[in-house]
Amino acid sequence: MTDALVLSRLNKTFGTKAAVSDLDLTVRSGELYALLGPNGAGKTTTLRMVAGLLSPTSGSISVFGVDALKDPADAKAMIAWAPDEPMLYDRLNPMEYLEFVAGLWGVDGKTARARAEELLKWLGLWEERTQRCEGFSRGMKQKTALAGALIHEPRLLMLDEPLTGLDAAMARQVKDVLQEKVSQGATVILTTHILEVAERMADRIGIIQHGKLRAEGSLEELRALAGGGRETLEDLFLQLTGEAAQP
Amino acid sequence: MIFKAGSIPWLLGHEMRLAFREGRNKTQMIISIVALAIGFLFLLALGTGLGLALRELDWAMTPAAAAVIGGVAFVVFTFMLSMALAAAAQALYVRGDLDLLFSSPLPPRTVLTVRFLAIAFNVSLIPFFLLAGVLIPVAILGTPQWLGALALVAAMGLMAAALGLLLAMALFRVLGPRRTRTVAQVLAALVGAGVFLLFQSGNLIDRDRQDGMADQIEAMIRGTVTIQLPPFADWPARAAVGEPLPLLVIVGLAVALFVLVNQSLGRRFAKDAASAIGANTVVRRRAMAGDFAHGTFAATLRKELRVLLRDIALMSQVLLRVLFLLPLGFIMVRNASEGANVLLPGGAAALSFIAGQVTASLAWITISAEEAPDLLVSSPAPVRDLNRAKLWAALIPTAALLVIPLGLLAWFAPVAALAAALGSFASAWSAGMISIWHQRPGRRADFQRKGNLHWLIVIAIMIIQALIGFATFLAAWLLTWAIIPAVLAGVFTLALRRSDAQILAALRER
Repeated sequence: MTDALVLSRLNKTFGTKAAVSDLDLTVRSGELYALLGPNGAGKTTTLRMVAGLLSPTSGSISVFGVDALKDPADAKAMIAWAPDEPMLYDRLNPMEYLEFVAGLWGVDGKTARARAEELLKWLGLWEERTQRCEGFSRGMKQKTALAGALIHEPRLLMLDEPLTGLDAAMARQVKDVLQEKVSQGATVILTTHILEVAERMADRIGIIQHGKLRAEGSLEELRALAGGGRETLEDLFLQLTGEAAQP
Repeated sequence: MIFKAGSIPWLLGHEMRLAFREGRNKTQMIISIVALAIGFLFLLALGTGLGLALRELDWAMTPAAAAVIGGVAFVVFTFMLSMALAAAAQALYVRGDLDLLFSSPLPPRTVLTVRFLAIAFNVSLIPFFLLAGVLIPVAILGTPQWLGALALVAAMGLMAAALGLLLAMALFRVLGPRRTRTVAQVLAALVGAGVFLLFQSGNLIDRDRQDGMADQIEAMIRGTVTIQLPPFADWPARAAVGEPLPLLVIVGLAVALFVLVNQSLGRRFAKDAASAIGANTVVRRRAMAGDFAHGTFAATLRKELRVLLRDIALMSQVLLRVLFLLPLGFIMVRNASEGANVLLPGGAAALSFIAGQVTASLAWITISAEEAPDLLVSSPAPVRDLNRAKLWAALIPTAALLVIPLGLLAWFAPVAALAAALGSFASAWSAGMISIWHQRPGRRADFQRKGNLHWLIVIAIMIIQALIGFATFLAAWLLTWAIIPAVLAGVFTLALRRSDAQILAALRER
């Protein structure tokens, strides 16, 4: 099966600062991949390059075999990108927002409406479908943005810190949605600072630091890499990145 | 800072610094300071001329002069009040650093006094600056009592701030937190527009009455007719020229009103501001019927029109520019009904110019002030389709606004109407296309500062619109010379063209 995402020798520099440096990364189709790293490690920059929001300085990006740099429209058609700050319009309600997003991805109007209804009900936003987003809580905004990301049934879903600011119930709901999407065959890449989420949900974990992939694998593979103990992901993360708290 | 930390002047200095820096980077701040300095020098030159003239003149305050000065002061005060109302309503909603300040050991009264003083300061700043430039040389050259006008402006600022706060809070009580901001902003815009229409009232009445009014004003100035002002109506004018009693009374009243409002409403203002949080929920009871729009163009056009038309405060600012159409429309219709003369093609030309201006404003909102640019860039939607939809979203409201004046014009002078329609379309289209080619991401809140298009592009748009306006003028007169400015406008427009790749590259550089 074709890999969902293949990054080869990907570089991105801002001025003289290298945000991503010779990054090689492969995400298999149908897996939930967690990208971890300290602040400023290059996680978001990497995902923004895949989403077509930033041009790499060099390297290549392949999405399900499509060269995302040569054929961005075809690659984008398969991707959904949900950043930590939801990309919403204050003066639109969720239904109108989904109508717009569906239009951007060329989803047929009738199909889009049916999917929008289904998604809003599934995410518990149906009662709020005619309320403008400006009055929404952060969690409701996140869920609306998630509905927008799912309306075109993407094969690759990329989420940047999807659980930030959510209460326990909403976080649980979002996690369930992501796992269900994976069970339906979609590929999910998420960045998170909540290591417990990666530990419980991810099939594989990539640890990125200074724009380079420091370690990758399942939790067991990472443990083996770190010496084969029964450490938690937090211990492994701190060990691998050398980010242990200073006394 | 030179003031004691936590004191009112210290906090006021902080507010002023933030206000000056808002939306400006270092270069823009330097440019602003240089521009202000040049403007001030110009005013000083003007004031020197006036000061020298006053030395030769045996000037005395007549009722007519008092009426004129009082009228100008009233108009300026109305503008100040409209600005204060908008600022006070905004202060209820924009928390900014209010939470930080309230959570500090500073007395809440100090915080609110400073916020109210900042409103007074902001609304007085422009008239104070303009007057100071003129009056300082006047004072040096022998008429120092005219500096009283500066004290009058400061007093008017305090009064406008106090009344603006009172009005905003009254609206809050009557309309509730959800509608107050919008209503206050629209009201403020209408007050400003009312003043403009007042100035234009001469154009709105018929010629006989216009001539009659002109005769009356001339007679007043010559002194052949005297006017009787109501008691105290000449006090603002007398205060402006430094008469101690009127000046002291007006300043005293302003300070008393400001202190009274500050003392009595400060606590309530803080409470209202707290209850304004989260009061933005707007529910459209009617659920959407029918299918979703299909395709990028339809979905984007629908979204842009929704977002535009729901931002009432922003639309009212755009529509304020359209108010220029009203007197223009009256002039056109009146001249058309009296037989064609130079004003008819002139009106057609002005219509095309205004169409371009309005479209440029709307296009900036739809294109540059996109709220979720990353969503669009991460979608597979062709940039061309998105831009086309955004351009049409700017053109449709402009067309709707022009329908009535063009229809009226067509009734009286079909050829001029055709020229005006073509000119308006060309002007609007070129303004929209240039807005696409030279888009720079910005925030809607920046709209009042004319967006953030590069100033060269703003000038280029103006020149192109002037050329199209001139072509429209000539075409309305059936002169084939119209082709020359029309072709020039086309060439200039195309010279500014950027390919999709160039637009994307420019956006990525930012």
